[in-house]
Amino acid sequence: MLKKFALLSVALGLGLMVACSWISPKGSFAPTHPQALEQGRPTCSDCHGTDRVASTDKTFASFNHTEAFISNHKIQANQDPATCAACHAQSFCADCHGGKTALLPSTKLGNRPDRVSPHRGDYMTLHRIEGKIDPTSCFKCHGRSNNETCTACHR
Amino acid sequence: MKHRTPLALLATLVAGTAMAQDVSVSTTTIAQTWKQNTPGFSTGTFTPATEYVGIDAVKLGGKDALSLHFYGWGMADLADQSYIGGKSTGDFTYGYLQYNFAQANAQLKAGRFSVTQGIGNEPVDGVSASTDLRCGFTVSAFAGTPVIFKNYSNQNQSVAASQRDFMFGGRLAWHAAKVGEIGVDYLEDGSSPATQTAPAPATNPTAMVYTRRLLGVDMKLTPCDSFDFSGRTVTDVAPLLAPAAGINISRLAEDDYTATLKFLQTFSLAGTFVERNLFSYFAGSTLPSLFNQNEQGMFKATGAKLTWQAPGNLQVVGDVRRTDRESYGTTTRGGADLRYTLPESHILAGVGFHKVNAAQVQAVDLLVPAYSLSHSEARAWIMAEKGAYSASLDAIRLHYADPYLNPSLNGQSIESAIVGSVGYKAKNGAKVSGDLTLEDSPIFGKQTIALLRLEYRFGLAGKGDK
Repeated sequence: MLKKFALLSVALGLGLMVACSWISPKGSFAPTHPQALEQGRPTCSDCHGTDRVASTDKTFASFNHTEAFISNHKIQANQDPATCAACHAQSFCADCHGGKTALLPSTKLGNRPDRVSPHRGDYMTLHRIEGKIDPTSCFKCHGRSNNETCTACHR
Repeated sequence: MKHRTPLALLATLVAGTAMAQDVSVSTTTIAQTWKQNTPGFSTGTFTPATEYVGIDAVKLGGKDALSLHFYGWGMADLADQSYIGGKSTGDFTYGYLQYNFAQANAQLKAGRFSVTQGIGNEPVDGVSASTDLRCGFTVSAFAGTPVIFKNYSNQNQSVAASQRDFMFGGRLAWHAAKVGEIGVDYLEDGSSPATQTAPAPATNPTAMVYTRRLLGVDMKLTPCDSFDFSGRTVTDVAPLLAPAAGINISRLAEDDYTATLKFLQTFSLAGTFVERNLFSYFAGSTLPSLFNQNEQGMFKATGAKLTWQAPGNLQVVGDVRRTDRESYGTTTRGGADLRYTLPESHILAGVGFHKVNAAQVQAVDLLVPAYSLSHSEARAWIMAEKGAYSASLDAIRLHYADPYLNPSLNGQSIESAIVGSVGYKAKNGAKVSGDLTLEDSPIFGKQTIALLRLEYRFGLAGKGDK
């Protein structure tokens, strides 16, 4: 029993040592952007030019907040959340991506029409149209959570 | 376990905040009031008050890398009940301890947090770890109890809780210069068998299977500054309990890819392709009345978006998107948006117009055999800041093509909403703003909604409201 425990401990220790030797020696992405950014959507390549992010090898240009980037930001957020966190607090994501929300994002952010926000205006009428055209766009937020309001009618 | 977790995290938060050298707090209090008198909906005078609280405590115990994060909200109706869940409700959105290593983007998290690794995007009570490895590899993993929200019915609530007892997943990725990043992802939600479900979920619309096993590949390829390609493929790999004979079910849940080409310095063109197989994409649905695997259809979309960053802070975007839902038909949406920024004057403004040509809905009605979902949408907005004062105006107008045959429109072809807001920001980080919304919709008719918002922030320098 003791022999097995000793062997297991040695194997675990060696395994940890090997695993640690695999860890990248590169520094982490900056936790906070060193300079304050101007109002509006940032174009990272304006300052970073053709540079690449050291830790991920991606171009800074691929982080430019273009219309395409904003509508497809899930890939970046899923791959490198640390790059998002340099400028955005976690609560910024929760404005829209809460598992249960009290108010529509467009109501909570009614004083910020510049923010991309789903369901502007009285969405009750339009949701009957958009839901028929593409139910998969609803499923992303309301398929497994954030659907208490839906169940009032869709039982 | 579920009731104890928030209490334990709250206790940790209080203790952790006391040990922190730098604490950032943000609170938003929102009070609304409006009257509603629409047949089929709740009627009365509604005055809900909602409080959001976010706390970020960093440098815990003097260590730069250790931090604690909390966010939640509570709501109470001061008049008639406005929220489905009751006259008072709330949510503990997240609360976790985080340790960021200075090397290798290594990170540890424990508590309630949103999983955003690979194909996962769900709240979990548990732990996660991630680090970069040598030779361009990255590895991350998480495990814990899924946060289950009240849904559907009390009976199915217990079924969901029994099936979704444990959740785990991971991602292994590789990146290289001139290439980008490619990852392989796995997510499993629920380890208990779906004992209360019918044997053939594909053919039984009442079957409730909440457990999921998803395997995916994600990529973001950035070979040069002027081109990038990103997207993911997700497959549902959960074993079917007893597939009905003769039914060929695709296990592909999703293909979602975007290619972006930048040219002539100020132009970019993005093309998208989306393909979703409803049976596999809706795996684990908690709202089968809307997202039913029984449908087994396919949804496809292709689109293009051309952006011109014109001189003088003007951005022009033209876009077109064609969608095809197997059980419904084809829809084409096209239009343009203009966005203008004057940073010196702190003015932002935008206008947009989109037209949607949609297929006819085949109704089961001899008098109205079909009706159109086609419509157009126009929007204009502006916001400005001067000193401590701010103001914004946001107007939306929808024009529906078939107001008399579409039963949702009650014969009204126009829907409009105007939101006006004024605000004042004090030097101590407090900001008060008031919104007035005027709406006219086919369902609710004319409505006036007043909103008062009080925001208070300190210690959020350089991060947060961007």
